[in-house]
Amino acid sequence: MSALILTSVLGVLLLYLGVFGNKRLLAPVAVLGLLGAIALMASGWYMDVPFFADMVRFDGTAAAFNMGLTGLTILLFLFGVDYYARMERDVAEHYALMVFSLVGAYLLTSYTNLLVLFLGIEVLSIPLYILAGGKKTSYRSGEASFKYFLLGSFATALFLMGIALVYGVSASFDLGRVQEVAEAQGSAPSPLFLLGLFFIAIGLSFKVAAVPFHFWSPDVYEGAPTLVTAFMATVVKMAAFAGFFRLVHLTGLPPALANTLLAMTVLTLFVGNIVALRQTNFKRLMAYSSVAHTGFLLLVVLGNSASGISTLFYYTLTYGLATVGLFVVMVLVKRAANGSEEVRSFRGLYQAKPWLAITALLLLLSLAGIPLTAGFVAKYQVFLLALQAGFLKTTVFAVAMALVGIYYYFVVVREAFTADEQPLDVQVTPLNGLVVLLCGIAVVALGVWPVVLP
Amino acid sequence: MLTLFYLFAAISVLSALVVVAARSPVNSVIALIVCFLSIAGHYILLNAQFLAVVHIIVYTGAIMVLFLFVIMLLNLNKATEPQKSLATRVAAVVTGGLVLLTLLAAVRHGISVEPANGFDIGTGLVRSVGRSLFNEFLLPFEVSSVLFLSAMVGAVMLGRREKNPQAA
Repeated sequence: MSALILTSVLGVLLLYLGVFGNKRLLAPVAVLGLLGAIALMASGWYMDVPFFADMVRFDGTAAAFNMGLTGLTILLFLFGVDYYARMERDVAEHYALMVFSLVGAYLLTSYTNLLVLFLGIEVLSIPLYILAGGKKTSYRSGEASFKYFLLGSFATALFLMGIALVYGVSASFDLGRVQEVAEAQGSAPSPLFLLGLFFIAIGLSFKVAAVPFHFWSPDVYEGAPTLVTAFMATVVKMAAFAGFFRLVHLTGLPPALANTLLAMTVLTLFVGNIVALRQTNFKRLMAYSSVAHTGFLLLVVLGNSASGISTLFYYTLTYGLATVGLFVVMVLVKRAANGSEEVRSFRGLYQAKPWLAITALLLLLSLAGIPLTAGFVAKYQVFLLALQAGFLKTTVFAVAMALVGIYYYFVVVREAFTADEQPLDVQVTPLNGLVVLLCGIAVVALGVWPVVLP
Repeated sequence: MLTLFYLFAAISVLSALVVVAARSPVNSVIALIVCFLSIAGHYILLNAQFLAVVHIIVYTGAIMVLFLFVIMLLNLNKATEPQKSLATRVAAVVTGGLVLLTLLAAVRHGISVEPANGFDIGTGLVRSVGRSLFNEFLLPFEVSSVLFLSAMVGAVMLGRREKNPQAA
């Protein structure tokens, strides 16, 4: 709870720093504040008590997720030092909005009340709608912001409708009460309750970009400033899945909803992996790769077992680390290639900076799920969990799709390791190098020593 | 009382239809104001004074007036709705129809929900709304301030004029 308050205050503090125009202080203050938040979370580990009339509960898993989310945000802020160096205005606003968004993410991992779930999603999304339009002179950035805002609002409306219907049946926003109602209804839930859960699931599926609610993701990923794209792909996905799992785990997933989610999982795996094969823009490729990873993560949500949350944490953390590192590499390459975001502009990376290319290779291997990286262990855990839950055919399909996925990650690898006539002039500041190396080392280290939540 | 309910219900449904069907945006907005007012009437019938007043002040007052201003400033007075292509229209009808079908299928046996609590005449009074807002729902109340702050920051950030558009 104290971490939540500290983070909210940190956002306001950053806005004040912006007023006084001290741009150089912003990133250090933000990083220090977030480190303080991590310390508070660590000291409050297992302080498993409900706060504010049972609105939130920071149990062990919530604390782990919050620390992971904060860690990823710190990595992004370290990258931000260089990324925002050339921007003159609105830098404080960018940091502050990301911190506010993080507050929403904390709520999503720890809610015990549907109202807090709704607020969490809104606090998470509203800053993102703004941040997506952060490059004010760019047409694509404006398009991304507007598209995300409109579609997000529709999803929110359905989501709110779902909460209202569930409230109508259970007469309470409290998840404990909702769980009692779900258990009392057993395998034949009332249509209103089912419809409510269905609408809530739609709202959450939009946030995690599951097919058929994924149409916004490539355009928004491409148009938004790269740092914001990385934030959306990592922090938002992690938080939304934590929220999704909590809801599904507590309400017990009625069969009708489980079948719908299963169909969505298969579609997500298929569309994400197959469409990614045809992408030439790196950011769009990462968008479809993110859709594909949503498919694997939905399998965990479907499995709905007690150990699922640990797998979910491990998967989203490793995916987040690899994605952050890759986006940093992409920005460095983009600068060297005169602003081109095409996969082709990676050509000659190994020639220019061998260590950067090899780290990028590690990160891509992890996303593809090649052994000895964290991505492999994460995917292995997901498949194991899905098999235990009895989804044999879906698991076989998911394995096949994971194999397809290897191809498009290796397109990037091939470009990076092909020599080019014109050497790529990649400039790496020490801090950016540190972020990329940290991500690379973490991906390998987590592969050797996987995290298991107690 | 029941006659009043049906009167308000009829007004809300009819004006909502006008909102969608009207060609001119100004007519659409005015119909929306009528719709909101009739919904406020429903709240008063349920003795929810606070909700009714807030609804009129915020929706009918602030938001809809802002809407009218925007429409008049942009001079959207004329009916300038572009014609959608046939494919779009067919897709929209099919999608909407499917949603309707799903909803109908879900409720085809009828829904009877026993009210968990009886109707309490004091629920909607300002006093009880304030009580629950500052006791039970204190956290959501406070957290929404973060939401509004970020929305304000965004409005200022996106609305501010760029000094030198070529530089960025």
